[in-house]
Amino acid sequence: MKKAVIIALALLIVGGALFAGGAGESGAGTVTLVQNKPEIDAMLQDYGAAWSEETGIDVTIKSVGGSSGTSMGQQLRADFAADEMPDIFVIAGIEDYREWESLILDLSGEPWVEETSVAFTLDGSVYGFPVAVEGWGMAYNADILEAAGVDPATLTNLEAYRRAFEQIDSMKEELGLSSVVSMAASADMGWVTAHHNFNSLLSNGLPYGDQSVVNELLAGQVDQQRLREYADWVELLFTYADPGILTTGNYDAQVGAFATGQAAFLHQGNWVDPNMDAANAGFEMGFAPHGSMNSDTDGIFVSAPSFYVINSESENIEAAKQFLNDMVFTAAGQRFMVDEAGMIPAYANVERNPKGQLSRSVQSWAAEGKVYSWNQYNFSGEFRDQTLAPIYNQFATGRISKDQFIQSMTAAFESLRG
Amino acid sequence: MNRFHRNGPTFWLFLAPVLLAFLMVIVVPFLIGSYYSLTDWNATARIGQGNAFVGLAKYGESLKDPAFLYSFIITTIYTVANVAVINGVAVALAVAVTSNLRLRNVYRMGFFIPYLIGGLILGYLWQFIFNNAVPAIGGAVGFLSRLGEPENLMLSRVPTGIIALIMVGSWQYAGYIMMIYVAAIEGVPEELYEAAHIDGASHWQRFRNITIPMIAQAFTITMFLTLVNSFKQFDVNFSLTSGGPATSFMGESIFGTELLAMNIYNTAFVGNDLAAGQARAVLFFLVLVAFSLVQVSVNKRKELEL
Repeated sequence: MKKAVIIALALLIVGGALFAGGAGESGAGTVTLVQNKPEIDAMLQDYGAAWSEETGIDVTIKSVGGSSGTSMGQQLRADFAADEMPDIFVIAGIEDYREWESLILDLSGEPWVEETSVAFTLDGSVYGFPVAVEGWGMAYNADILEAAGVDPATLTNLEAYRRAFEQIDSMKEELGLSSVVSMAASADMGWVTAHHNFNSLLSNGLPYGDQSVVNELLAGQVDQQRLREYADWVELLFTYADPGILTTGNYDAQVGAFATGQAAFLHQGNWVDPNMDAANAGFEMGFAPHGSMNSDTDGIFVSAPSFYVINSESENIEAAKQFLNDMVFTAAGQRFMVDEAGMIPAYANVERNPKGQLSRSVQSWAAEGKVYSWNQYNFSGEFRDQTLAPIYNQFATGRISKDQFIQSMTAAFESLRG
Repeated sequence: MNRFHRNGPTFWLFLAPVLLAFLMVIVVPFLIGSYYSLTDWNATARIGQGNAFVGLAKYGESLKDPAFLYSFIITTIYTVANVAVINGVAVALAVAVTSNLRLRNVYRMGFFIPYLIGGLILGYLWQFIFNNAVPAIGGAVGFLSRLGEPENLMLSRVPTGIIALIMVGSWQYAGYIMMIYVAAIEGVPEELYEAAHIDGASHWQRFRNITIPMIAQAFTITMFLTLVNSFKQFDVNFSLTSGGPATSFMGESIFGTELLAMNIYNTAFVGNDLAAGQARAVLFFLVLVAFSLVQVSVNKRKELEL
């Protein structure tokens, strides 16, 4: 009997020590935000600290993601399994929304909704706060293009790109280039190929918001003509890329080649502005459309890439709502978004302009209304990262031919019919 | 029995922390995980998502997935090669640093230090070496110019990618295994070598017929450690190759250097199917236990022959 008491006591003491860490996190007036832009982590931390001082509400900011490492989704699944979901987190689109649907709060009545046209909306209700506007096309080095006699305004279809690439390739020596286009397709750069480049197949040349191609592909129907033209485009990019960077390079290698003037084109979006700044890239640059089709496609891919959503089971919903509103309606919040984080604001009441050249290029394309949508998020992360990315990688390393690429892509879409 | 009885309460009291910790962090998660492998749990808040009991369905799916089967094969190849290379290098280093080498303590320390660097950092370091430093050497040194050509990059092909993983794995782990061999070699009585020397045995004969049998016990331990560690390799795999480059297997495009642990991780967190990840982890566990049991019993038999 005595023995049992002692055992119980021992378990109690040790158990008490083990579980002591669990409680004590849910004091009122704290906001936890998990976001996926590590490049603005420092600025957001500073802004969060200043906001806390102003309002007396504690803010905890966690940043995940980047070219390699845990993604947002992985972090959230771990948090959800541990019952530690943040108050504010990020979704990228409809697939993410479905994943967390039962947790996402309806934000239709919020003041910021009036100020933006790119909020995440479904069936008439607003759920997501657009973090920024982003865009990508083919970033070009205007100085090199001028020296090579290529007018970026003409780059609107496959044939124009083919001629331009040939022209620049023949002058590589005198222009000091190591390759024409800086492209990456290694295993951890699948987001460049199977997310961004893939979107050319899905929305290039279509009216903004048109999902006809997406819906066909999701139903397993492949427009072979469109896919074939797209495959020509991918082949063109891969052919004129630096093979080392293409097959094994990481983000730094890819962006670095462009920033140091060793490549005339870069297959990335306006988020590389801080990298250009850090590398002291002194040349003029801008975006040209993707030439993934034989017909003209005069526009680049612009959208809000991600949205803050509020956890409906959070105890701090009001504080979380205030955090989002203050970012749009206070001078400090606007300064953070535009000047410090360098983002293109998604809100009409914000009058600041980002200083990055590529961001301004996105703004001017958007102002002219020459934009195509982002439709890649209609496909699951698994499909893009585990099914499509290896196909692009095999094509890049030359292990499969263009015909095999087309066959593999077709088979992948047909497997979606399920 | 008597002594155990007299000290009963104290015995349990001292054992309690360890028992509890073992229960909480090993036994309970293992059982929960095994249970989840029989459900369709995916840890998201999707509408209509429960965790229904689906029996062995996830096991069946996994065994039909080309990527998983491929990972099994490639991991086995990697493990066999890695165990051989690490132990070969470690024995050679151990023999070297137990000889009359000058500065042998400095060498011991030097060989051991890579073990103290985290696998993730190591992977990025070596990625830089394979992708940038090696081609740069190729560009600078005339007769090595083949190294500078992009198609010869180690990480751009599957077989050389696996070799790169083995090189980095050995570089990291051989120093640690060397320490175990050093301890064993230093425990071999000097008289045996003296007697053999007088009988006219050569260096090789002394190594083969005295050192190797006398350190057979160390082999059991080191083989076990390297086998288990190679099989569970994740961090270097994740940062060095991320599973790339891709290859074709059973008619599908899959990642060519994705070892088992990474396949499980990708299934669970990228593929968003935690139950299938668990099922694979259970299979992985069973296979690893089987491999280890065979290895230990074979090595033990070698020890008994003494």
